This record gives sequence, structure tokens and C-alpha cells, in this order.
Amino acid sequence: MAILNINNVHLNVEEKQILKGISLSVNKGEVHAIMGPNGSGKSTLSYMLAGREGYELESGQVLFDQMDISTMSADERAKAGMFLAFQYPVELPGVSSMNFLREAVNSRRKYLGEAELNHLDFVKEARRIAKEMFIKDEMLKRYVNVGFSGGEKKRFEIFQMSMLNPKVAVLDETDSGLDVDALKIVSDGVNNFRSKENSVILITHYQRLLDYIVPDYVHILADGVIKKSGGPELALHVEKNGYAGIINAA
Amino acid sequence: MQHKKNNHYLNELKKFVNDNYQNDKIRTGFINNFEAWPSGKVETWRLSRLGGLARKKLSPLAFSKNEKISCNKILTDCYTLAFNDGVYIETLSDKLPESIEINLLKTSELKTFFDSIENFDIFSHPTLNISGACAKELVKIKIKSNSKIEKPIQIVQSGGKQKDSIHPLIFFEIEEQASVSILEVFNSNSGLITPLELFRIKKNAKLDFVKIFEDKPETHNLSLSIKILEEDASCNCFSLIKGGNFTRHETHAFLRGQKCKFDFNGIYLTSKNNHHDFTSVIYHEVPNCESSQKVRGVLADRSTGVFQGKVVVEENAQKTSAQQMSKAVLLSDQANSNSKPELEIYADDVVCSHGATVGELDEDQIFYLVSRGISKDKARSILTEAFLSEIVEGSVDKLFFELVHSKTKLELKNMLNLNYD
Repeated sequence: MAILNINNVHLNVEEKQILKGISLSVNKGEVHAIMGPNGSGKSTLSYMLAGREGYELESGQVLFDQMDISTMSADERAKAGMFLAFQYPVELPGVSSMNFLREAVNSRRKYLGEAELNHLDFVKEARRIAKEMFIKDEMLKRYVNVGFSGGEKKRFEIFQMSMLNPKVAVLDETDSGLDVDALKIVSDGVNNFRSKENSVILITHYQRLLDYIVPDYVHILADGVIKKSGGPELALHVEKNGYAGIINAA
Repeated sequence: MQHKKNNHYLNELKKFVNDNYQNDKIRTGFINNFEAWPSGKVETWRLSRLGGLARKKLSPLAFSKNEKISCNKILTDCYTLAFNDGVYIETLSDKLPESIEINLLKTSELKTFFDSIENFDIFSHPTLNISGACAKELVKIKIKSNSKIEKPIQIVQSGGKQKDSIHPLIFFEIEEQASVSILEVFNSNSGLITPLELFRIKKNAKLDFVKIFEDKPETHNLSLSIKILEEDASCNCFSLIKGGNFTRHETHAFLRGQKCKFDFNGIYLTSKNNHHDFTSVIYHEVPNCESSQKVRGVLADRSTGVFQGKVVVEENAQKTSAQQMSKAVLLSDQANSNSKPELEIYADDVVCSHGATVGELDEDQIFYLVSRGISKDKARSILTEAFLSEIVEGSVDKLFFELVHSKTKLELKNMLNLNYD
């Protein structure tokens, strides 16, 4: 069953048309990789799904868990289980990582009708998951993303994903700026998250990430539409031959 | 220099001094010095106009007729000193230990203090002249030498009605090697309050001073503090302005002994059509002293805020370290914040810095929080609180930390709700 159904979406950013009729259907438990050259609309797609202001649909429809997302604000989407791992995670000086996470986790729990976690239970749960992801306690004591290295920021995104347990996780170039060790940790986090219930959209430039997280489908996004879809072999083809052949043929 | 005339109030002040202190040359001298409210053409008042105050019909509050008075204490485990209409009320205050002494001064002692300053800029200040002339009591609070006061002192300033002006005057003397933490809360209901506070912080003495301005919504508060610091003295001031229609908190500090340290930090939270102002002038007169002025403001609705900080480093004040930073966040398009950091440096071996920023909350930061399921309102409140908590954490004495933190949080909550109406 489709957890996410993107149907012929057009979207303008500051009056420039970026998405030009994109369609994509993601079923529960699937991992979809979206690849494409710079400026193809990959990040726009992720902001559109997360509900950033200025990224409202021009036309088309997106159904998330049977709900029309155009009627949902960004926080409502997150509470309902949409998650975006940012390409450039934002620093929040003065906001403690633990308080931030607890606020986020409890918003989602409240939405799901679950009891909110008290401070102690939350810390216990956070420490448990942090340990799995090699995130030190000391990092949780800092302000959100402040003083984190590039790799730590990305790891912290995946850590948030694990804590929030979303239905659809959109990872926007989570692999960029990671060394091999960090890539391994982040990929393990995503692979642990994979289940029959959870779906992942991996946005990436490079085939490298797909060696660690093997997708069910690969889509090539260019000029605001999906030019070609296939299995993991499509990513290998791109790695070898570049995007030009696919884009021109389409 | 042009002034705003307010003949009614001026006449009332003169009459008050004449009726009560006819033979006091010092008081009459002060009142003769006050000719009118400074106009917007006077540079130090350009950003904080007194037109609204000049239009108020005020009279200095006459000696009270035993009205029922009370004192709103905030802290419990402390020595409370209650002031009503600028008068020290012993019956509402706590018994003090021997190391804290309260006396009433003669105006001649005031003159001695001012003679030691020799700074003509301050002598035209309305608060100095009005309170100098009309203060009903000159209260001196002395912390005796070598005493460490463990419990904080809490000063509560209240009283007055909208037609009144009241004029508290306190002289603090922190003797050598003494240390004390003081909280002062203004919750006046008067049309105008002109608190004049003088400090002599002696050799090796340490003073932590937190002021909270939460006067009634119509009140004008023109607070003026003048501080003299001696060798190795340390004075850490933090002020939270969250009340009153117009609150100006002005400080002049004279760093006169080597290795003394002065901090003047604060927060203003302003909404509706209110105006809050931090003004400070720090005179580095001798070498090896440190000062910092850090102010953060959050402004909602049509409110306005001002930070004007000036550092004067005299020629022989080498190895001075002075920092100034003002940051403001506007929650509304109609709010307005002005910063005017100034450095006047005559020495050549100093480290001085200044800076100012004004802006809205960062949209990227809001979206980051919202994308995690946190509502937009909550995100704004988290971010404004974070903006302020940095300065509270860095500069408020631990005795008052929780108090300042909770007052800030509560006021922010009110402001953010207001803004969404």
C-alpha cells in the first residue's frame, strides 16, 4: 500500500518553475533513491514534502498516509510521521539538544495518542539509541548542532530520525561531507530503521551511499521530472556513464 | 540646547522644595539646575524622547498621611528592605545583621559624592536634579568592611499614583573586602519615578546587583545609577526591564582603581507601545581595568528599544579591556530597536570591541524546529528564550538566576501571545 503518493506535482520557487509534473509512489517498507544533477529539484522536493513555507504546490496532489498534505502544516506532517534529514542541519545556539529532542518526541507521541515521556524516561531512551549510533553523551549536552562537525551533524539527524520513528524519512544528501567511517555509521542507522512499516527516500548525488543502503528503486530526477526509474543497477549505470545519456534519451 | 517646557511640573517641583526645604541650599541648587525635560535635540535623549512625559500632569508626592502600604516580596530567604514612595519603611523590612547598616544622610554628604565626580555631563540629568532636590530621604546602605553577606538583600520600590512623581535616593557603600548580592525590584504605580542611586565600591569589595523593572503599564521610570569603583573592586550588574510605559536605565561608572571590573548587562522585553532604554557610560580612568556591556532585547507590537553604551578610555588607562554588544530580535514589523555603541579611546594599548545586531527570528531555525513536529508558536518561543538564556546564563548571579529566568520566560509567553492576536 502506498504510504506516499506524489501525483503530477508542479511547484514554483520565487516564480521559477522547479518541479514540472513529478510523480512518485512509495509503498510501506520501501527505500527509494532519487539521484540527479545539480539544480534538478531534489532539495525542492524534500522541502515540498516537509512543508516549508514558499514550497506550496502549484498543481498536483500529494497523499501521505491517505492524507492530502496541502492541508497540513509542517509540524502536523512531522507529527503524522514525515521526517526530513536536512542537507545542512541548522545550528540552534541556546537550545539544548535534549530539550529540543524531548519536545519533538513528545509532540509526535501526543499526536499518536501515546503518553508523553517524562524527563528520566526520555533521557534513558535517548542514551540507548545514542549509544547505538556512537553519539557521545557529551554531544547531547550541547546546544543543537552548535560546535558539531559536519559528520556529527548528519549523525545527529539520523539519531533524531531513530528517536522519532517516522513513517517516511526523506534524507536530503545525508551522505555529503561524510568520510567513510561516518558514512558507515549513518548507513547502519538507516538500515536499522528500515522495516516493513517505514519507508525511506534517499536523495543523493553519488552512487557510493547506495553501496551501504541498498534501495528498492532508483529514480533519476532532472529538470523537475523523473526521467527514468529502475532498480539499483540504474545507479551503477549513472556512476559509469553520467546523467547526460539518460536525460537526453528521455 | 532646546528643552521641552513643562511649567506645571516645574512649578510643582519648585513649590515642593520651597515648602519643605527652603533653607537647604543644595536642594535648591539642584532644582534650579532643572529647567525643563531635555528635548530630542539633546544627543543622549535623541532616541528616547520625553514628549509623553512632558505632557503628563504630575506633582511630586507630598509626605504621606499614613496610607495603608504593603510590600510585594519576591524572594523569601533574604533581607528585605521595603521602600514606599521612595521612603524606607522599617516596619515592612527585615531585621538586619550588624554588618549591614542603614542611615539617613544629610544633603551635604550628597554634595561630597558629586564633588568627587567632577563630571559635568551628569549634572544636567533630570533624575539627578529632581531626586537630588525632592528625595524625601537620603538612605544610605552600608556593607561593613570584611563582611560577606550570605543572604541577598532585596529592595522593593513601590507606591505612588499616576498623578505623582516619586524620587527614591539610595547611597550604597560597599566597604573594603565586603561582598554582597542585591536584588532591587521596581513595581511603582506612580506617573514618574526617578530613582537615583549612588555607589561607592571600595577596595577589593564585590557587588552583584540585579534590577528588575516591572512598573505599572503607565509609569515612566528614569533610573540613574552612578558608581565609583576602587582598586580590585568588582561590580556585576544585570538588569531586566519588562515593565513600565517608558523605562530608561542609565548608568555611569567611574573605574578609578586599578584592576577593577565592571559589568553592565541586561535584557529588555518590550511590547505594546512601550519604550525601554539601556544607557551606560563607563569611564576607564586608570590602567588594567575591565568592563563589559551586553544587552539583548526582544520587541513586540509597536514597541521601541534603545541601547546606547559609551566607553571612555582616558589617556593613562592602558591595558583596558572593554566590550560592548547589543542584540535585538524584532517580533513585529512595527517594532523598532536602536543601538548606539560608542568608543572614545585616548590610550593606545587597549582591547576594546563593540557591535550591534537587529533582526527577526531566523526562518531557517524556525523551519528546523517545525519540521520536527514543534508548532510554529512554540518554535518562536524556544528561539527567543534561547536568545536570552545565553546572556542570563553568562551574567546573572546564581542566587537570582532562577528568578530572572522565570520572569523572562513568563513575560516572553505574554509577548508572543500578544503578537498573534
